[in-house]
Amino acid sequence: MMLIPCPFCGNRSESEFAYGGPVKPDRPDSHVTDDEGWVAFLTTVPNPVGPVHEHWWHVKGCGAWLTIWRDTRTHDIVEGPPDAG
Amino acid sequence: MQVRRLPTGGRIDRSQSLAFRFNGKEYQGFSGDTLASALLANNVRLTARSFKYHRPRGIVGSGPEEPATLVELEGRRASANQAATTVRLEEGMAARSVNCWPSPGLDMGAVNQLFAGLIPAGFYYKTFKWPGWHLYEPAIRKAAGLAGAPVAPPLDGHFEAVHAHADVLIVGAGPAGLMAALVAGRTGCRVFLADERTEAGGSLLDRRLEIAGKPALEWVAESVAELKSMPNVTHLLQDASVWAYREHNLLMVNERSPANSNVLERNWRIRAGQVILATGAIERGLVFPDNDRPGVMLASAAQAYVNRFAVKPGERAVVFANNDSAYAVAADLHASGIDIAAIVDSRDAVPEDARDLAGEIPIKSGSVVIGIRGKRAVKGATVAERDGRGAEKVDCDLLLHSGGWNPTAHLFSQSRGSLRYDDTLATFVPDKAAQACVSVGGAVGEFSPASALRTGAEAAASATGSEMPDLPAVTEGHYSIAPLWRVDARGAKGKAFLDIQNDVTVDDVHLALREGYDNVEHVKRYTTGGMGFDQGKTGNINIIGTIALQKGVPIQDVGTTTFRPPYTPVSFGAIGGIREESVVLPYRHTPITRWNLDRGAFMYEAGARWRRPGYFPRDDETFQEAVNRECRAVREDVGVYDGSPLGKFELKGGDVGRFLDHIYTNLMSTLKPGQCRYGLMLTEDGLILDDGVAMRLGKHRWMVSTSTAHADTVHGHMEELLQTQFPEWNVYVTPVTSQWNNATVCGPKAREVMAALGSDIDLSHKGLPFMSFADGQVAGLPARVVRVSFTGELSFEINVAPRHMRDLWERTMEAGEPFGIEPVGSEASHVLRVEKGFLSLGHEVDGTVDAHDLGMSWIMSKKKRDFVGKRSVELRRRGNEIRRELVGLLPANPNEQIPEGAPLTPGGERRPTEGLVTACVWSVVLDRWVALALLENGKSRHGETVHVRLKNATIAADVMEPVFHDPDGLRMRS
Amino acid sequence: MSYDAAFARLPVNACFDLKGAESALVEWIGAEMLPGFPADANRCRKANGVSLDHVGPRHWLLQADIDREDELNGALRPHEAPAEVSIVRISDTMATFRITGTDAAHMLAIGCPLDLHEAAFPEDAVSFTEFFGQKALVRRCVGGFEVSVEQSFGDMTEDYLTRALR
Repeated sequence: MMLIPCPFCGNRSESEFAYGGPVKPDRPDSHVTDDEGWVAFLTTVPNPVGPVHEHWWHVKGCGAWLTIWRDTRTHDIVEGPPDAG
Repeated sequence: MQVRRLPTGGRIDRSQSLAFRFNGKEYQGFSGDTLASALLANNVRLTARSFKYHRPRGIVGSGPEEPATLVELEGRRASANQAATTVRLEEGMAARSVNCWPSPGLDMGAVNQLFAGLIPAGFYYKTFKWPGWHLYEPAIRKAAGLAGAPVAPPLDGHFEAVHAHADVLIVGAGPAGLMAALVAGRTGCRVFLADERTEAGGSLLDRRLEIAGKPALEWVAESVAELKSMPNVTHLLQDASVWAYREHNLLMVNERSPANSNVLERNWRIRAGQVILATGAIERGLVFPDNDRPGVMLASAAQAYVNRFAVKPGERAVVFANNDSAYAVAADLHASGIDIAAIVDSRDAVPEDARDLAGEIPIKSGSVVIGIRGKRAVKGATVAERDGRGAEKVDCDLLLHSGGWNPTAHLFSQSRGSLRYDDTLATFVPDKAAQACVSVGGAVGEFSPASALRTGAEAAASATGSEMPDLPAVTEGHYSIAPLWRVDARGAKGKAFLDIQNDVTVDDVHLALREGYDNVEHVKRYTTGGMGFDQGKTGNINIIGTIALQKGVPIQDVGTTTFRPPYTPVSFGAIGGIREESVVLPYRHTPITRWNLDRGAFMYEAGARWRRPGYFPRDDETFQEAVNRECRAVREDVGVYDGSPLGKFELKGGDVGRFLDHIYTNLMSTLKPGQCRYGLMLTEDGLILDDGVAMRLGKHRWMVSTSTAHADTVHGHMEELLQTQFPEWNVYVTPVTSQWNNATVCGPKAREVMAALGSDIDLSHKGLPFMSFADGQVAGLPARVVRVSFTGELSFEINVAPRHMRDLWERTMEAGEPFGIEPVGSEASHVLRVEKGFLSLGHEVDGTVDAHDLGMSWIMSKKKRDFVGKRSVELRRRGNEIRRELVGLLPANPNEQIPEGAPLTPGGERRPTEGLVTACVWSVVLDRWVALALLENGKSRHGETVHVRLKNATIAADVMEPVFHDPDGLRMRS
Repeated sequence: MSYDAAFARLPVNACFDLKGAESALVEWIGAEMLPGFPADANRCRKANGVSLDHVGPRHWLLQADIDREDELNGALRPHEAPAEVSIVRISDTMATFRITGTDAAHMLAIGCPLDLHEAAFPEDAVSFTEFFGQKALVRRCVGGFEVSVEQSFGDMTEDYLTRALR
């Protein structure tokens, strides 16, 4: 059971959250992107060994959708890479 | 008769005699005893049979490290696989040995010993692999023993699981843990202390030491008293094992004797700022032939029995050691009147301190035990020089051994901290921490009481940023060791056990290595050494030493296996806590649940945890009769159902219109206030997420209703889009599912019932047409009436606040009585929607179909440039693959029901399916069974006959439009 | 020895869900209606029998006794509010339990993972968290805590509390 930092509430038990999946690139304009680009957007999910940027929804708390960087090897919540948004 | 009980001493209350049963026999013990100490006091030596070979076993340890005597508790506290050394004796307790039938003295499974040579490591893996392990597993598990699960819940009391938080969590109340707690507690921070023994003191309870010039236990009592006086020391738990160290400093504690006597066991989930692991150390055994015989005991255990429990584990002992700690044991036992035949020390040189402790006891240095006499009880030992020369027999009934001490690093390792091998201590000690924790005292290899106090204080001072206190003086005990991984002497024959619990011998490890399993983790799995709930407490380091010796590599290169939770066995009940029986699953009620039950409704869960009435049987009606009656009421007269569970959300803001256009497949922004529209939501990959109704309440104010089951999913979907994709859009979402309940009056006479209820809303066809709504009063209650229909009949959904729901419901039943109104359950609702061919998520919508397959191409807006899922549906359909499309089915025999989910195959033959039946109900309008199905190219196959393939039969059915009633929808629009 | 705690299910409050920028809300509602905005997240301010809980980003709950619901509704005018402000009457959405007694904190700890110690959860704290697996609003009251769950989970919560109290 992790302790997830919520920007509004501070650290809260993982059980208050719903997992929102890894952060993906922005949704492409469906009229501009080609089929490969659209399928890649739908199906390519980041799955690194190490820090992953992911969404969580504080559904039982303040309702915020937030992102964290979580190390998939340890569950440690870490700083994102310096070039990350 | 407690024949082995010393006349004085011990931490037992001799005024409180406790009767207990073990393997059917009656015994007496004292309050303060464990089951193990009480058995030893009664001179019960043969207490168990081993896991694999069914060898006779006795009590080996004095705490959670006990590898041999596992018991099953019966009666009130029924539970399986408890170490007898950790079971607190209680009046009337009944226990029996596991692994033997009918008793350890006469064990039928002991025949395995005859075949011991045939069941080496890996035997099961090699032998029982065809056709599959699962064929053999049940029988082998039974033969292998270990206790069965209790067959019934505890007779009285319940389990509890609870959360807790602490600035500093201290594990263990020995000298290091108590000192840490004092230092941390004095700073005012929140301290939580948990200790696995029934009283504080840790190893001090087992020994005869002085702290600050007084008996050590006086210092313990003073320390506990001081801690109890501190309000910030939130918890001081005894008989409470910390059994798991999870991520983000979450630790699990199993408290076995809560103050609330109704609570059988309590499981704490503690989130700690800083953890101090003062878990002490566990003595490891020495590895020599027949080192598992009843009467062969860890030296420290014998010391505990003499000092803590005032029990003599034997009359004449041989002490076999490779380190100094056993000398104090010999001295304590000698002082209690136990004859020590000899101290056999594998080292050539014995330090002076140790020799002084031994006094007159003869010491045989450079010597080892090469054999044990006696199968069911030790009768003597054979002692020889290290290479086996000069063997001589010594009579004894107790063989105490000490192979050194291993820091109890289980929790540290579970926290992902690394261990390093320490040559001086000949064991693994905590190295780098991975979380906010620090090990102190014996747990970090500081085996003397003085260094335990010091390291405990240092850790707490550092964790709290406080000063080091003055430490009480303790006589510094010296500890040195020369590792002896196994006795390898001429004349040493017989099984030498590394892991007594799992029956793993030196030969097993050698076999595993020969067969190529040379990684320590592979050896563990192949031999099972260190597995199960033993988790390597006594045997692991010896296994690692044996591997290193055999491979000829340094021991640190072998490394350790991963320690896993639980550190000690935990009841499943304690983990689940109070979540059992009626609350084992969550449930939701609407305000008329009581009314439904009083009316005799058959209630069950119908999505999203709502408990709803399935049907309302009358007198001796069958299920089908009740459902038919409810359906006929709706089709012919009038019915009412409770539609409260539908998900409802209020949306507000300048961008709601375009947001709804984005999430629904059809156009919503063109709705005018007072109108509503049915809509379909897709996921981005083009699958159907939900269907529901959007209503426009005002210029910037909307309400969206969803299917009951998907309310939470849709909520998450909307919030995700708004917060992550369109944060600049002005849309606020407020869940109002429980602000609006409704009674939906439906049927040809619905308008008459509404008139009888009375309303200030114009409910005429013109005043409130289909797919519109109005706010006003109904039966004198503030209400919103919505003209939607999920039954195909004229319907008025009367929405009110829950505080008015029961009122509304009763008035509706009263007003409807002259019209034959019936309450309608979810079974009838299902029939009514199938007759109309209305889709149901989970039936017709299964994650492969799209709106076109369902005959709803009209709902896929062509006007909108984009919406969620649009591109994916187009992409998928461009392949022109054969699609399964929604059709109606009429079984050739109108009285034949088709099981829902049944496959359709060409001609009913054994061929790949061409579809499946999604729903089949008895239609009251057609008076026959009707079904909905997904069928390949179904839309173009109306009029064909298809076949349902069942296991032993086929059912022919005619394909038609998926609507059996009022295809033009005139009734619901009336 | 069993627990020293008791619980009671309270009648519904008048409760309004407010969303939007603080300034926009003040402009629409008028400062005199409100007890003032709490400065911090998950804190409450009370005045004149009305409390304002800061329960989420740009999200507050305004509560008062149920007999003031019409008065508040008239003042808040949810239906006329501008696009930038969301005001929804949600009085019925929650079932509230008052749990009191020396073991009240322990009762809470059985159901709730949040640290409710005074040091972490002071007098004016209020927060959505989890109670017996469901979303719940927790606050302090005289002699214990008040917990509000989604109304449809009220009976289940009562069931749980009865079991926890044994």
